[in-house]
Amino acid sequence: MSVTDVVFILTAVVTVGSAVVVVVSRSLIYSVFSLLFTFFGVAVLYVFLGADFLAGAQVLIYVGGILVLLLFGVMLTHRLYNLNLTTERFQPIAGTLIAAAVFVSISLAAFKTKWKLVGDRELEPTTQQIGEAFLSSYLLPFEIASVLLLVALIGAAMLVRRRTDV
Amino acid sequence: MNLGNLDSLTFFYPELILLGGILLVVISDIALKGLRNRVNPLLTLAALLLALFCTLQTDHGSAMTLFEGMLALDNFALFFKVFLLVAGILVLLGSLHSEELASVHRGEFHALLLAVTLGMLLMANSAHLVMLYLSLELVSLTSYIMVGYLRSDRLSNEASMKYILFGAVSTGAMLYGFSLLYGMTGSLDLFAIRDALLAQEVVGFNQVTLLLVVVLTTAGFGFKTAAVPFHFWCPDVYTGAPTPVTAFLSVAPKAAGFAILVRFFLSGLSQPAGEQWRFISGVDWPLVLIVVSVLTMTLGNIAALTQNNLKRMLAYSSIAHAGYILMGAVLLTGSGLKAMLVYLFVYLFMNLGAFFVVTVIFNSEKTFELQDYNGMFRRSPFLAIAMSIFLLSLIGIPPFAGFLGKLYIFGAVIDQGLYWFAVVGALNAAVAAFYYMRIMKHMILENDDRPPTPLRISTLNRALLILLLVPNIVLIVFWAPIDRWTANSITLFGGL
Repeated sequence: MSVTDVVFILTAVVTVGSAVVVVVSRSLIYSVFSLLFTFFGVAVLYVFLGADFLAGAQVLIYVGGILVLLLFGVMLTHRLYNLNLTTERFQPIAGTLIAAAVFVSISLAAFKTKWKLVGDRELEPTTQQIGEAFLSSYLLPFEIASVLLLVALIGAAMLVRRRTDV
Repeated sequence: MNLGNLDSLTFFYPELILLGGILLVVISDIALKGLRNRVNPLLTLAALLLALFCTLQTDHGSAMTLFEGMLALDNFALFFKVFLLVAGILVLLGSLHSEELASVHRGEFHALLLAVTLGMLLMANSAHLVMLYLSLELVSLTSYIMVGYLRSDRLSNEASMKYILFGAVSTGAMLYGFSLLYGMTGSLDLFAIRDALLAQEVVGFNQVTLLLVVVLTTAGFGFKTAAVPFHFWCPDVYTGAPTPVTAFLSVAPKAAGFAILVRFFLSGLSQPAGEQWRFISGVDWPLVLIVVSVLTMTLGNIAALTQNNLKRMLAYSSIAHAGYILMGAVLLTGSGLKAMLVYLFVYLFMNLGAFFVVTVIFNSEKTFELQDYNGMFRRSPFLAIAMSIFLLSLIGIPPFAGFLGKLYIFGAVIDQGLYWFAVVGALNAAVAAFYYMRIMKHMILENDDRPPTPLRISTLNRALLILLLVPNIVLIVFWAPIDRWTANSITLFGGL
């Protein structure tokens, strides 16, 4: 087993393990902090795929931006510990069966499918290619994404509007 | 023909007009403090009408792709663009005199309506998985905001929250399906995906994986069209949202969802063969969708039987109609696709009409309960008769347009020899008749002891009701133009 494999397995374990903690933890604070490790783990996985810019953006935006916002949000809620986050209807048997079926089918698909592989490639910077794609073949999605953000801004403005200001 | 970014702009006027409309409405909302409540609806209406005009004027010759293969411009997309813009205009007019929206600031509502229409137009055109996801997300995000528009209303908030949660999960599933598809074909372009799948001949475990892709992506499209088992959000969201928004959700994003579903499955996972399509061997996606269709109409109709809240009942009814519409999409024939378009077109007028009557009654009665509709015929004969026509149309009873839709759909199903499928649909239509008739019974036959006070309807609302009634009554006679239009509209880029 090479060093790369060891690093990969470690990253995968940390990513999945912390994601599990996010879901099962009974304290919001623990959930948010373990989300930190999930985000970092995903960034490292991007590096393994040779997506350097994406890894950087993942750290900047998810860890630096979204996570900090989440922390602020969590700090402002009053009940931080011992939350009971289960739904009113709890169906352990049906839930387990469906989860198991999804897990088995997705893992089988991952391992047994004949993927279209491109083989090993040299690690090279991707920023230039991404920039060119944004201004050529992916110009329309790039612009529509900004419409999406505009809508999100309008929605946020609507949510925080004072009640009296009709 | 594939057009580059600059050349494509000539065929992109409707979308550009809507985009300009959004910006103008946002600016006028800030700049024109005193006049904005008059100017904004006019601006929105002007943008929608102008976009509709440009869409009708579009002469693209043969089918082609725009923006480096991001969008496909074909008759199929044009049909949906006209449909969605008409739906947008009708919903805008219906929202103007709605008491539910009177108490809140309206400026953003118009900007959001334009944004969601823009998103839906792009959905109808998308031929690339990135564009498909992005337009779907634009529509979803805007819908979440519109559903939660009544901020001080607890039900509206709850509806928005549920919508977001279900939306996030189903979009996640859909994206996972896309990623599997990308892994197998190495492409995000629908036509390239089809070519790759045909070239490698899907065999062995890849067949199973591709079926998994079908199931996962159906989750995303099923969420937008409110098909069982991805319908759980639908009753609560439809009940909590302001009624004009509910009317909108029950027609426009549903239609856009069907457009995207048909394009994904027909362009990506099947190949044209003469007068019809063949699914890629070993991946029987129509069977998956037939099961979804049967479940959708049966569950929707049965659940609607016991509802006493009008909005909730119409929510389940719209789920059931998604099942009928899906019947046309799974046949893989030109006549099936045409039947689906006819059904959607008549569904627009009958369903918007029914929801619009609910809006008008809420304006003066402040209630959605069936009990409170008692004696409506004595209070406003016009409203009761209008509602009855919309409901009879929804059932599919002959003199009204709904019959035309059912006729085309069941005809196309029988043409393919799927008799059991047609029987299931017909039985469902019979079940549906029961709860639609129940509304009519309450409005016309049951009276309470109170003296019948006349119901006030504003002139605009009355005019709009008549506008919605006309197609329901005359289409059965003047069906030839619709027949021609839909027959022309089944041309998809890269097929038939």
